[in-house]
Amino acid sequence: MLSTENDKSAASKDSTTEVASKSQEGTAEAPKQKLLDIIGSMTVEVSYRKKLKQLKTREIKKEATNTLEGLDSEHAMLQRTTEDVQGGKPLSPELVEAVSAVASSLPLNKKQTESELLAQLRRHEETTDKQKKGGIINIRNVISEMAVKRQSPVQSGVRISSRISLKVDEDDQRIKPERLSPRSFDSRRSLKVGRRLNIFTKASKETENALKTVSSPTIWDLEFAKEIAAVTAQPPRNGFEEMIQWTKEGILWEFPIDNEAGMEDDAEFHEHIFLEKHLKDFPKQGPIRHFMELVICGLSKNPYLSVKQKIEHIEWFQNYFEEKKELLQEI
Amino acid sequence: MFQDDPFLMPRNAASARLFSLSKESGRNAAKYIIKQFPQYFDKTFAEPNVPCLMPEILTPQIEGLSEEALKERIHLRRVKDSVDLFDRLVQAGTPVSLETTNSLLDLLCFYGDGESTPEKEEEKEDLEEPGVNASEQKAPKKQSQRGSQSFDSRWRENNNAERIFKIMPERNAHSYCTMIRGMVKHGASAKAYDMYIDLLNERHKADVHTFNALITAVPYLKERFLERWELAKVFLNHMAQQEVQPNLLTFNALLKTLRRCGGVGKSMSLLVIKEMEALDIEPSLATYDHLLFIFYKDVGSYPSGIISEVLDDVEKRSFTPQDPDDANFFATAMQACCDLKDIKLACRLNKAMEKGDNWKFLDVDRLNAYWSKFFSLLCMMEQIDVVLKWYKEMSPSVFYPTPKNILDLLQALDAANHLEVIPSVWEDMKQLGFNRRHDLLEELLSLMSREQHPHEIQLAFAKCAEDIKAAHEQTGREQAPLEWTGHALGSVAVLFSRAGRTQDAWNMIERLQQINRIPTDQVMNEFLDCAKQTNCPDEAIKLVKLAASLDLPSSQRLKSRTEKEFELSEKQKKTLESIKSDSDSSDSDSDSDSDRD
Repeated sequence: MLSTENDKSAASKDSTTEVASKSQEGTAEAPKQKLLDIIGSMTVEVSYRKKLKQLKTREIKKEATNTLEGLDSEHAMLQRTTEDVQGGKPLSPELVEAVSAVASSLPLNKKQTESELLAQLRRHEETTDKQKKGGIINIRNVISEMAVKRQSPVQSGVRISSRISLKVDEDDQRIKPERLSPRSFDSRRSLKVGRRLNIFTKASKETENALKTVSSPTIWDLEFAKEIAAVTAQPPRNGFEEMIQWTKEGILWEFPIDNEAGMEDDAEFHEHIFLEKHLKDFPKQGPIRHFMELVICGLSKNPYLSVKQKIEHIEWFQNYFEEKKELLQEI
Repeated sequence: MFQDDPFLMPRNAASARLFSLSKESGRNAAKYIIKQFPQYFDKTFAEPNVPCLMPEILTPQIEGLSEEALKERIHLRRVKDSVDLFDRLVQAGTPVSLETTNSLLDLLCFYGDGESTPEKEEEKEDLEEPGVNASEQKAPKKQSQRGSQSFDSRWRENNNAERIFKIMPERNAHSYCTMIRGMVKHGASAKAYDMYIDLLNERHKADVHTFNALITAVPYLKERFLERWELAKVFLNHMAQQEVQPNLLTFNALLKTLRRCGGVGKSMSLLVIKEMEALDIEPSLATYDHLLFIFYKDVGSYPSGIISEVLDDVEKRSFTPQDPDDANFFATAMQACCDLKDIKLACRLNKAMEKGDNWKFLDVDRLNAYWSKFFSLLCMMEQIDVVLKWYKEMSPSVFYPTPKNILDLLQALDAANHLEVIPSVWEDMKQLGFNRRHDLLEELLSLMSREQHPHEIQLAFAKCAEDIKAAHEQTGREQAPLEWTGHALGSVAVLFSRAGRTQDAWNMIERLQQINRIPTDQVMNEFLDCAKQTNCPDEAIKLVKLAASLDLPSSQRLKSRTEKEFELSEKQKKTLESIKSDSDSSDSDSDSDSDRD
């Protein structure tokens, strides 16, 4: 409805049919343009607009040579759209004339202004066309989003750019998402580049050691350790792996077979067998010596006593014979 | 896993599952006997002794009303006994130390007020279900273990943990933390949040595990995506304020929450990764799993380079398990490769899986799913000789092909014009137990019967057809007889005809009539060709009669063909003449009926 009204008023005022057609497009883009402005104002839009304009001016300078077709009608339209971008007010033909007057009052920059405005109009036309197709759904989505709450710049940048990018990512290279928000999330997303959350700071080594408190593991820790171990504990894939697992559990003996597996014996074999050195306190001749040598012979063949026990045996005999020494002496 | 003998290995997925379940149940039965009757297992014959086969002493030794007895029962994880003893101690007025109370709270919060060993389940064990036992470790029971961990009892209102918590004379940070963790584990997320607020009000500091639990509970606390992210950030900020260092599990929990945050997840997950990098925390497989899920869960989302970069990292490392979710990585990654239809990525993933110990992250079920998807992708994208090489190497030793895999294989053979391999695929199908599946049989038969093939192949196809016919006719004790479809019968008839088996082909055509179907033109033409080859004009006449009786439009053509191409005796010529294709020749119809009989 708005567009038709503007059409009529525009048609009555503008001289050329070209202008009329252009105005039709121009007024059709007014609601869209207003919408973009509202969206823009929701975000940290000062920076956005400045950025947008900076980028636009950069691109305009590149395209300056191409765009100096200098149609007056387009010029008027462009001026109207610039006014829109800056003021967000509804279009009116008086504004157009005023803007053209302003532009003409700056003779030095007239051509540059023209080229800037031409480029901008082209961009807006394309945006409008695409968003026309998207149409009402777009607006509803955006409005419903706006109704939620004041969104943080980050997140609203996310929303808007994701919406717009769905529509214009094919050929409208200029309103690419990475310009709307500092984070890139088109196909150039990567694990290597990008910002971080900046919530934590890396603890230095001392604080790390200080923070490590030694406490006995709780049931949570034990069960978590079990869960972790279970992630990679797969059943054995073949007979060999099964045998390995059984060997680790103690069900199978380790090969090569060790006779002394499980036996704790601190002494070497020679300490078991060569026990003569323990006899140095006994007399060198006589029946006692003979007897003790037999005892030693028996002990050395005994596999069941430890070295300590054997020495204890010999010592017992020693004590016994010491006590009986008086008796024996008498004999 | 099974008897390591090629003859005794299970040949298909169903018998593999049966074997593993029976092995598991046998083991559990033995354990049960040893546990119930330890008095018969007290002599140690083995030297050295094998402690893992001996009965465990699980009964508490210390009696009486003392803190030592309580500690012992807590250590033995006897929940009910511990609670009873604690209550008696409190009633008797004996003070219980904070540490012991805290360890009691740990026990209660971990088991959520249930028992640690479900006694009743063990008693009524049958061969179907292996016992589900949360506290017994040992080599994991792959199917039952997952079950025991996902089934958590729910947090009841005012259960023992809450009660004891309330009556504690003093509480420290550990008490609050363990309550929070227990509540999150057993689904009482809102209460956990309230408990956390209480903790803050008491000016305590939570530890990193508590924060991890709170972050995992975020999706249950908030609905909208952005609110979830904001709440998670609140927790992170608190962590930073309380000087609690995050660990790998913190970030994994964060990413797990971001999985349920839609579009917000996509943008924020990369920030999380960068944060991990800045803190020198190396990502685990679970990290990558969450990342891939976030970016690739909607099929058809625009491609990004994330998976390629993830594979770059994964290829270089041999991973150790650090997070229970690590096990999901390879399956998710292979799913993403299949969605992207990128065979190179899939091959890279496979190489990464074979590196070092990475293969251990796939248990039997996940391994089957992974290979199944990989094989489907191969069938779609690779040359037939590569596909066949993989097929011969991998099945059935590494994985058991699913019916979908067999279908894909058949289509790949069809695309590469290698239909002569079909008889060996049929043999595999029989081994895998797919010989009664309608969809596979239809596909097989239509591929075989579509075109003419050289003679040996045709003979092999006819043998397959005979097998399929036998599969339809066998009526086992438990199986319902397989129903013939018209298309199947027609294809079998065609295959028999092409191999020169006229009588068999005729039987098939008669069967068609029995199920009230009409033979197609192709079937009839093939049959006539076969009859010509084998010089059976009687059969040809039979066919013409059949066609006439069914009023088929082609019956006239068949009749003329028979007249021209066959050497007919006088009698046969007369019979042929008498067959008319109009419906008013009822006499000849009745004649032909009696003739056929």
